[in-house]
This record gives sequence, C-alpha cells and structure tokens, in this order.
Amino acid sequence: MDWDQFDLNPKTIAALKKADIKSVKEILNLSGADLQRLMKLSSADIQCLLKTISRTLRRDSMLTALQLYQDKDHLTSQHQKLSLGCSVLDNLLKGGIPLVGITELAGESSAGKTQISLQLCLCVQYPYKYGGLESGAVYICTEDVFPSKRLQQLIDQQHKLRADVPAEIIQKIRFGNSIFVERAADLDTFQQCITRRLSLLLARGMVRLVVIDSIAALFRCEFGPSDSALKARYLQTFGAQLHSLSTRFRTPIMCINQVTDAVSELEAAQCSLGNKVTPALGITWSNQLLMRLMVSRISLPGQSSGVASHSAGSMRTLRVVFAPHLPPSFCYYTVQLEGVKGIK
Amino acid sequence: MRHPFPYEHFRNKSFVFFSLVGTLPLAPALRSRLAAAGFQTAQELLDTGPCGLSKEIGISREEALEALQVVRQECHGDAARTPGGSGATRKCTALELLEEEQTQGFIITFCSALDTILGGGVQLTKITEICGAPGVGKTQLCMQLAVDVQIPECFGGVAGEAVFVDTEGSFMVDRVVDIAAACVRHCHLIAEAQQEEDHREALETFSLENILSHIYYFRCRDYIELLAQVYLLPEFLSEHSKVRLVVIDGIAFPFRHDFEDLSLRTRLLNGLAQQLIIIANDHKTAVVLTNQMTTRIGQSQSTLVPALGESWGHAATVRLIFHWDNSQRLATLYKSPSQKESTIPYDITVSIPLGWRFTDGSTLSAVKEFSGKSDKGLCSLSVAFQLPSEGKQ
Repeated sequence: MDWDQFDLNPKTIAALKKADIKSVKEILNLSGADLQRLMKLSSADIQCLLKTISRTLRRDSMLTALQLYQDKDHLTSQHQKLSLGCSVLDNLLKGGIPLVGITELAGESSAGKTQISLQLCLCVQYPYKYGGLESGAVYICTEDVFPSKRLQQLIDQQHKLRADVPAEIIQKIRFGNSIFVERAADLDTFQQCITRRLSLLLARGMVRLVVIDSIAALFRCEFGPSDSALKARYLQTFGAQLHSLSTRFRTPIMCINQVTDAVSELEAAQCSLGNKVTPALGITWSNQLLMRLMVSRISLPGQSSGVASHSAGSMRTLRVVFAPHLPPSFCYYTVQLEGVKGIK
Repeated sequence: MRHPFPYEHFRNKSFVFFSLVGTLPLAPALRSRLAAAGFQTAQELLDTGPCGLSKEIGISREEALEALQVVRQECHGDAARTPGGSGATRKCTALELLEEEQTQGFIITFCSALDTILGGGVQLTKITEICGAPGVGKTQLCMQLAVDVQIPECFGGVAGEAVFVDTEGSFMVDRVVDIAAACVRHCHLIAEAQQEEDHREALETFSLENILSHIYYFRCRDYIELLAQVYLLPEFLSEHSKVRLVVIDGIAFPFRHDFEDLSLRTRLLNGLAQQLIIIANDHKTAVVLTNQMTTRIGQSQSTLVPALGESWGHAATVRLIFHWDNSQRLATLYKSPSQKESTIPYDITVSIPLGWRFTDGSTLSAVKEFSGKSDKGLCSLSVAFQLPSEGKQ
C-alpha cells in the first residue's frame, strides 16, 4: 500500500514503512498500544493515524434515513425489488425479493421451490419497468439436473403469465441465452464456483440473480454429527461470501433449502410457527439470512371447493417466516403450465 | 544481594515516576529513556529545557523540543480539564453518581412492559445488548429505538437523534417509515387527549420527515469497516451533539467468519467494547448492539446461547434475550445491574399504532383507554398494557 497518498505526517509514514506495516487492515487489527510499540510513536500520533486512515476508508459513507427513503435512483434505492412475476405474490412480499441479502426458500420436496426459482430466472430479465433487473441469472444445481424442459415450457408460456407486459417486449428477450447453469456437487466445486465464476459473471454485469438449488444438499452427505464445528465454519464462510457478492453487485441471492422434521425441543423452538418441519442446516445458517420464505403443499379441505375449481394444480402456500420489512404472513398459490400464480 | 538499599530507592523513584511522567502521551521508547535518566514529573522535564533534555537522555534537539511541546500541551490540557470534571481522575461520591444517573434519563419505547423490565427504558450512557434467533425481532426493536429516541421531551422522550450502523444490510427504510408514522400518530393521540400547549408545539416539528432525517445510517460491509467507523464515531458525535443512541446491528455478523485466529477476534472485540463504553460515557448516548445466538452442545442436551464467546458477555451492561415459546415471542432481561431478571411476552404488529405491542387484547382499544385515563405524561401507559398473568417473573 502506498502510504504517501494519505494525509499523514511524514514522520508517521516513515514509521509505518519502518515497522513494515503494509495495509490498512493490519493497522486496524493492532491495538493502540501495540502500534505505539511497533512504530515507536506517541499515543497522540497513533490516534491521529487511526483517525486519518479510518476517514479515508469510510469517506462519505453517511446517509440519513430520509435520503434512503427519497432515493429513487435505480442503483441504490431500497424500493427496487425483484418481482416474482405475479401481482399476488409480489403484494405478499411488498414488491418482491430485496436486492441485497440472502433470501431462503425452504420447503418439502415437490412444494414448488424449483418452480418459483425458475420463474425468478425469467422475471429478472424483464425491463426495470416490469419488475425485472434487465440481466440474466445463474442457476447453481447441487443435486438434481437442471430442469431445462420445464424452463423451455415456461419460456414458451411467458406471454400468458405476463399479460401486463406488451407482447413485443417479451418476444425481444432471449430468455434461454442469459440463464447460466452451474453444477456443483461438492463443497470444493461450490466454493470455486462462487469465488471465481460467479464473481466474474457478476462483475461483467451479465447476471443479477443467483439461485442455489439447494444449499442443504451440499451438507447432507459429507458431514457426520461429529463434524458440526467444521460444518458451521463452512456455512459461515459461504454465507459471508454470498452476502458480500450480493452487497457489491446489488444482486439477490436465492437459496433453496430442504426441511427436516423437528426432532428436539430446541429445533421445535426455532421453527416459530408451531409446524412440524424446520428448514435444514440449523441456526448457523439462519443467522446468514435476510429473509426466510417457506412453501408447502396442503391437502385441500372439503369446503374450499370454490378455490379448487379455480386451478388445475393442487394448492400450496408461500409463507414469510421472517423478514425485516414484512410481518409473518402467507398466501396460496398454484403451479400451472405457464408458471407460479398466487391466489387472492 | 547485600545492597538492596540504592536499588530499593531507585525502584521507589521509578514507581513515582511512572505515575506522573508515565501518563504523558510520549513514545514508549522515549518514556523508558526518561525513566532511566530519573525524571519524575512533567515539571522536571519543563525545567530541564530542550537542550538539557537532549544531552541528558541522548536524543536530538528536535525530538526534545517536540517532547516538551507534548508535555506542555498535556499540562495545559489537564489544567483546563479539571474544573469541567471530565478528566480521567475525577472523584465523586456515590450520591453524586446516583443523582447524575437519575437525571440522565432513558429512551422510552412506548411499550410499558419492556420499559418496566428495563427500569424505565433503554438507559443512556450504558451498553445494551439484544440477543436472539433470526427473525425474532432484534432489528425491529433497533429500528423502533431509532425512532423512539426522537420523542419530544414533553412526551417523556429525550428528543435526540440516532446513529444506525448496519453490518447485515437489514435496515429497511420502509419499515422505519411505518414505525415513525405510528409513533407520530401515537403522540398526536396523547396531545388530543391532554390539550396542552407544549405538546402541540412539540408536535409541529415531530414529523415523519424530521424523524427520518435524524437517523444517520452507516453501512459497514466487514469488520475492518466497522472498526474504522467506530474510530470515527467520537468525532461524528461531537459534530452531532443531539445523538442519544448508537445502534450497531449486528455486532456478531462481521466477526463470525474469516477469523482463523480467535485470540485476534477476542482482542478486537474487547477493544471495540472499550471504545463503545467511552463513546456512551463521553457523549451521553445509549449504545444498543444486537448479537446472534449459537448452539452450545452440552453433555446431555444442547442449548442456544449468545454468540461471540464468554468474554464478550462482559461487554454489555444490560443484556436482553429474545426467544420463542411455541408461537409466542418472549423477551428476557438476562443481565442488568439494577433490575431483576424477568420475562415478558411481546408481539410485533404491522403498523398500528406501535411497532411493538404486548399480547393483551387489541392495541387500538388499549390506546383509547390510555388516552382517556392519562393525567401526566406516559406513566399511565402501564395501565393500558397489562401483562398476561402467565408472564414469568
């Protein structure tokens, strides 16, 4: 690091070079007393050094909540969300998926997780005006093969699902061309995938959505009960890496997660709403999340035949388990030929 | 070993020295040289002068001049500081401390049950830590406190401003708008019920826009940025002297990955805690931190405990733990110097009329009851929000 670019006393810069301190990180990792010893400077000089480098690192970082609220700019605004392609579902989520943070979609098998994710991969390609981000998506498969047949079906049916978008706009988008499918069956491949390939795609602006289907599959086989500390470390590292990618590129990360039956009392306490299943991977993973959604398939009770005639498929629910901006709530939805649709 | 006397004498001398010259902000090497040369007090240094000093301890004249300048500044600073009473060696009686603490006040939350278990609200000049599983409402309380700290004085608030340091990106401004609007509405209800002049005056400036423009938001992406931000906070707080609340949401996230060396983490966290204590004291602000929970595997069963380890537990003065009991949210006061340990149930409502609500009947009727009965300020909120009887004591 070139210390000469900082507004520092030449004496301090000389001391920094002499003490062989190379980065801002190194300085902040040391305590004031250690710095005094290493650099042979007085505490006043050290205070000044710390203030100066902190100021350089945090230049113009302050915003008031009012600025955040009034900011209508596409690049920084919190108002912008990624639409799910259905007004009912968007209403449930107050506009869609937030751009910064990890969103988890948990549920039993065949509850509709993959269907929602595929739909998001298409929605992200629409213009901003129609709830998209005008960019592609990465789909990281860790267990099953990518459902390309179903994707093709959805692409063909887009004009039916998105009646709100003019047909010529839909025709112009080459949906299939901007979905990048990655395959990562084990932890090392996954690690490489998110550190190298993913950041490359994001940096080039080719994608604005990352789907991981599913995060739990990576951890299902490799770890026994005795390796829980190692497993936690992996989860924290992945969480942090995904989080920082999401923040840097303002890109939503959608992690699909499996569910397990709540066995112990502790687990039952964590699955807040008194149902029997809880998302896999425990509290270490939950700590990494911005919001958690759960989907489930429900067996129809007899009296709701009015709703049943509404749709061909079976009824499912999409539930907000937690999110900083949403109350716990849910809505019904069905999976049809043209895609996922909420029911009022 | 038969000549202890001169050494004894020297040791005594150096002991005296360290308590006087040793406190000066000089480079450590210089201090030890001064010690070796037998200097005791700052006055002695000043009397010796730069030339004498440079000869005596073998440093250049420039260095000696610089050292003396520091000494002079320090002596001057001490003289200026002592009357103000904010120096490092301030003496006061327990009675004075008590009086001081009582006048300092609290950030009321408008949730009487929570205020009660905290002994009046979130205390200024103290560090309060909120721990809880994801989704239990830590960030919600932080956002609400950022609004509540601005409640005008005539409504029982501290009429301050808030600093919000966000490490997780979970500060949702739309939610803050909901909470702020609800708080303004609540104050209007009180004002209508009481028809007092100062209430109406205070409400003229207590608007949504005003509230939002006095929440200063900092986003920190990693622990380095967080440390840098905390180094800058004292300066920011001097410039914005009305800030009465510093929120760090959350303290745990940046420190729970990428640390191979756990002793480094402990050291950084201890340093951070120390700085936060100084900030809270010097600027009369409350510091609120949120912490994650982690699983501790015991012999027979595993339990959820706050993250960041045992030594971090000493950092906060007040520790609140939020947890679930089936589908009921509970808040437990786990550590406090003045209040007993107790648990209350709570809910988070969508927007009417408070972000937080306690689980008894409808909130709207509670407010009506409150505004009808209240006679002075917010004390009678406790009438409105009664605790359900199953709340553990």
